[in-house]
Amino acid sequence: MLPRFQFLRPRSLPDAFAAFAATAGDAAWIAGGTELLQVMKMGLAQIGTLIDVKGIAELHGLRADEDGALTIGAGTTHRVIERSPIVREHLPALAALESEVANIRVRNTGTIGGNLAFAEPHSDPATFLLACNTSVHLVGPRGGRDLGIGEFILGPLWTAREEDELLLSIRIPAAAPGVGRGYAKFAFFERPAASVAVCLAVEDGIVTQATVAVGSLTDVPTVVLRAGDLLTGRETRSGTLGPSLGRTVDVFDDLDIVADHNGSADYKRHLAGVLLGQAADLALTEALARA
Amino acid sequence: MPETVDLTLTINHRRHPLRIEPRETLGDVLRDRLGLTGTKISCDAQVCGACTVLVDDLAVSACTYLAIDADERSVRTVEGLATDGALSPLQQAFIDHAGFQCGFCTPGMLMAATALLEEDPDPTREAVIHALEGNLCRCTGYAQIIDAVLAAAGGARADAR
Repeated sequence: MLPRFQFLRPRSLPDAFAAFAATAGDAAWIAGGTELLQVMKMGLAQIGTLIDVKGIAELHGLRADEDGALTIGAGTTHRVIERSPIVREHLPALAALESEVANIRVRNTGTIGGNLAFAEPHSDPATFLLACNTSVHLVGPRGGRDLGIGEFILGPLWTAREEDELLLSIRIPAAAPGVGRGYAKFAFFERPAASVAVCLAVEDGIVTQATVAVGSLTDVPTVVLRAGDLLTGRETRSGTLGPSLGRTVDVFDDLDIVADHNGSADYKRHLAGVLLGQAADLALTEALARA
Repeated sequence: MPETVDLTLTINHRRHPLRIEPRETLGDVLRDRLGLTGTKISCDAQVCGACTVLVDDLAVSACTYLAIDADERSVRTVEGLATDGALSPLQQAFIDHAGFQCGFCTPGMLMAATALLEEDPDPTREAVIHALEGNLCRCTGYAQIIDAVLAAAGGARADAR
């Protein structure tokens, strides 16, 4: 059984912050509970009060601006994002990614905000959203602030969020014409062994800019500049990039790859090399379609 | 005295007023308070799917879903699939296609597949595999289970003609 805790269900942000303040710090926010309840079961966290944020309206909602930028409430479940016509239209790679997160039960309860705030190094969305230059919006009793996702995630299970701050929403910038985004992963278990996200721009048959982020390899999702350089300047007329990339593992040489139950550092580096080609081709397909 | 909360769970269309501790999961309440032991707890980590139940028609893991979150919601378990003693078409298909041996994973498989078929009454084989990939079976394997789900969908299709 789970350890004992008090459970509060505030309906507004001021009520939520007041509830947190009243616990003298012995509290945690909870939404789907897919991560938090697990660590509590394992005895890794003892928390006096869980404050359920699902009833707070500001955490919900999903909208696209006129230019296609997406704002997604932190309390939105993976499943809602996966099935959202708005996401499918503006960022199909995110809908596809979400449809493969863990399993259907986790997707039905787990939220995008919970996933990012927990900062598990094997997060699918964090890796992809990093490549897409996503920002997170935090609110707390002292006000709100925006951080790039790379500034937000500081280490394994560690973010820039103060304990009494709440991750309210994420914002994914619009893609200009000729920009495509793709994500590829390889997984034995619920979380990936390795994953690669690519955001690239194509102009006149040439890749003019590329951002590559890797996940599950290092302590935090990481942008790999050398991998972006590998893609930049390449011809796209064949409609595919993967086969021309050659020995892609070299671009991951500088990473401090963590061996884990998925495999050795060398093995995971190899996976990243294969996935880079796949993610690049997915991104290219979208870029050419949007040209 | 531990803190308790009062809530009402609607389980298989029957309302159950309950006084529980907030830490009790849906699995705890179903099995230990209500004796509905059809829902199995196995991995206790949302990996195996044995404890799959439906809350407002969505498949969730009863092992990691707080009962308090199901307050005033509709919960369905394997005990609710049969109607007046008659198995659901999906349950019958599991028997006809030998979709289980030891049966431990079966309640979760049935609930996950029930959710799928309600959402997509005519799924492809790939869609069945995708929907059930979070449910583990250690004896029958998966082919017969997938066949059973497809057969149940096909039966519904034939009935509609």
